[in-house]
Amino acid sequence: MAPARWLGLLIVVLAVAPLVLPPFFLQLLTEIAIVGLFATAFNLLMGFGGMVSFGHAAYFALGAYTAALLVKRAGVPLLLALPASPIVAAAGALLFGFFIVRLSHTYFAMLSLAFAQIVFTVIFKWKALTGGDDGLLDVWPPSMLKSPAAYYYFTLAIVGLSILALRAIVDSPFGYALKAVRENPRRARYIGIDVRRHQLAAFVISGAFSGVAGGLFAFYNGSVFPDFAYFTKSFEPLVVALLGGVQSFFGPLAGAFGFKLLEWMISRQWPVYWPLFLGTIVVLVIVLLPSGFVGLVGGRRWPARPASKA
Amino acid sequence: MSWITNGPLITVQVMSGLSVGMLLFLVSVGMSLIFGVTRIVNLAHGCFYMVGAYLMVTLVEIFPDQPWAFWLALLLAPLGVAILGGVIEMGLLRLIYHRDPLMQLILTFGLILVIGTLVLLAWGPDNKSVSRPDALAGSVKIFGQPFPSYYVLVLALAPMVAVALWLVFYRTRWGMLVRAATVDREMLGALGVNVAALYTQVFMFGSWLAGFGGALAAPTVAVALGMDGDVLTTAFVVVVIGGLGSFAGSFIGALLVGLLQSFGILVFPAISIVLLFALMAVVLIVRPWGLLGRPEP
Repeated sequence: MAPARWLGLLIVVLAVAPLVLPPFFLQLLTEIAIVGLFATAFNLLMGFGGMVSFGHAAYFALGAYTAALLVKRAGVPLLLALPASPIVAAAGALLFGFFIVRLSHTYFAMLSLAFAQIVFTVIFKWKALTGGDDGLLDVWPPSMLKSPAAYYYFTLAIVGLSILALRAIVDSPFGYALKAVRENPRRARYIGIDVRRHQLAAFVISGAFSGVAGGLFAFYNGSVFPDFAYFTKSFEPLVVALLGGVQSFFGPLAGAFGFKLLEWMISRQWPVYWPLFLGTIVVLVIVLLPSGFVGLVGGRRWPARPASKA
Repeated sequence: MSWITNGPLITVQVMSGLSVGMLLFLVSVGMSLIFGVTRIVNLAHGCFYMVGAYLMVTLVEIFPDQPWAFWLALLLAPLGVAILGGVIEMGLLRLIYHRDPLMQLILTFGLILVIGTLVLLAWGPDNKSVSRPDALAGSVKIFGQPFPSYYVLVLALAPMVAVALWLVFYRTRWGMLVRAATVDREMLGALGVNVAALYTQVFMFGSWLAGFGGALAAPTVAVALGMDGDVLTTAFVVVVIGGLGSFAGSFIGALLVGLLQSFGILVFPAISIVLLFALMAVVLIVRPWGLLGRPEP
């Protein structure tokens, strides 16, 4: 079947899901969509920009807290609070990214992690604004969107639009320049591409859409906590993207589906053991599968890939 | 800004900053050492610090009411961490030295989750504390300002460790091999040195340092889940400032960060963490590889 027909089928299935699925599974699907957007935004950096952030939870949390604070502390309605999420997340990504993109590989990953820990610490310590450890509770959407089905459609619409926007960015001249930077920064520089500016732009875009995911998650969850910025949260899009395949644009969405389903099955039984389980899987897969997760799913080895087609 | 003219307060503040810096030095020099030789950035290094502190909690309780229990625990807890490090190096890291550095990072990230959960299962979710030994429970007067006696121990012990480290690295054959390994590992192997064993020793030594830092810090902090993340971030700032793989850089970086934290709390209580970040940002702009580090190859 052609991809377009798969996509059509998927849209139909997602559209009729609320008619057949109980509310719990609708919530799970909502969460999958949010995590899928988070991982797709993350993968703009990793898969297409060749930059691995270990601190993307920072931008997710900035988005979530922005939306929650506007609704809770300023009484702003959801439809105005949600657009602020990507703006604040993008501002944070611009500030941190300015420093982070100056470094490469290992240093890049570590500096992004350090900035995320700073965001976590600020959220954790600034009790007067953020509620510290207690988080912000009762961050619910207005009654119109309160039912699981309504919020599911709402999330699906926002995530769908965001994914389309990200897809357009990947396919744009900017996207191709980004891939050129990933493949060979030096050669990209020779042909006149401003490497750092492209990397920073990708970082900001990725942060902004992570912020959208964070904002959506705040209302889905009904509350926000400092954990959103913690480094274990940064691990989530990384594992999801690796699970689904970093070379394909839609890989992280598929990865989110598998990951969340697995998480639900494990944490339903043993909530405490989920990080242990996840950590063990990651360690074992890296040690036992030389080509990484992707070898398990896609068969192609990362980072070797044709540069012409995403 | 009345503290500016308060000499005794400044002295005490400098001393407590140096104590914090010394503990940080123990952790970050281990991280830097492991990176210098194995080229692995061990994200689980903060976990070693945490395990050191938790082992201290348990070991001190084995012999309650004995004055020497604390010192025995301080000796054994870091050794336990070194053994843990050895098991991880031989069981896992040894298999991935030739791989993409990214995969190595992800693996040590996975270890954070595993070790964190195991600590939660072993010691439970509640915060623990380690009481200071009786002799060091009080405080001493420094220019009329009270200063915790225990910090005097930290101030005395950590520089001794620093000097001992310097002697080990620059005056022993083993230290020479370690330094050679940071420069050219292949050549070292070609000269007949058992590089695999050296890696294990270095990793265990680095883990020991983190464990010692955690054990020594245990009476000064709440021993809690999540302390691994805090110390990892701060140690990371230290090695970024000082330069990854640089022994002296870790020392200078740790003292700078310790002093900055100490005075930051005095001057800008709410944003002392931001000062840390600002210092790191300045260093990264001027010298991306740190004050005493080497540019990335």
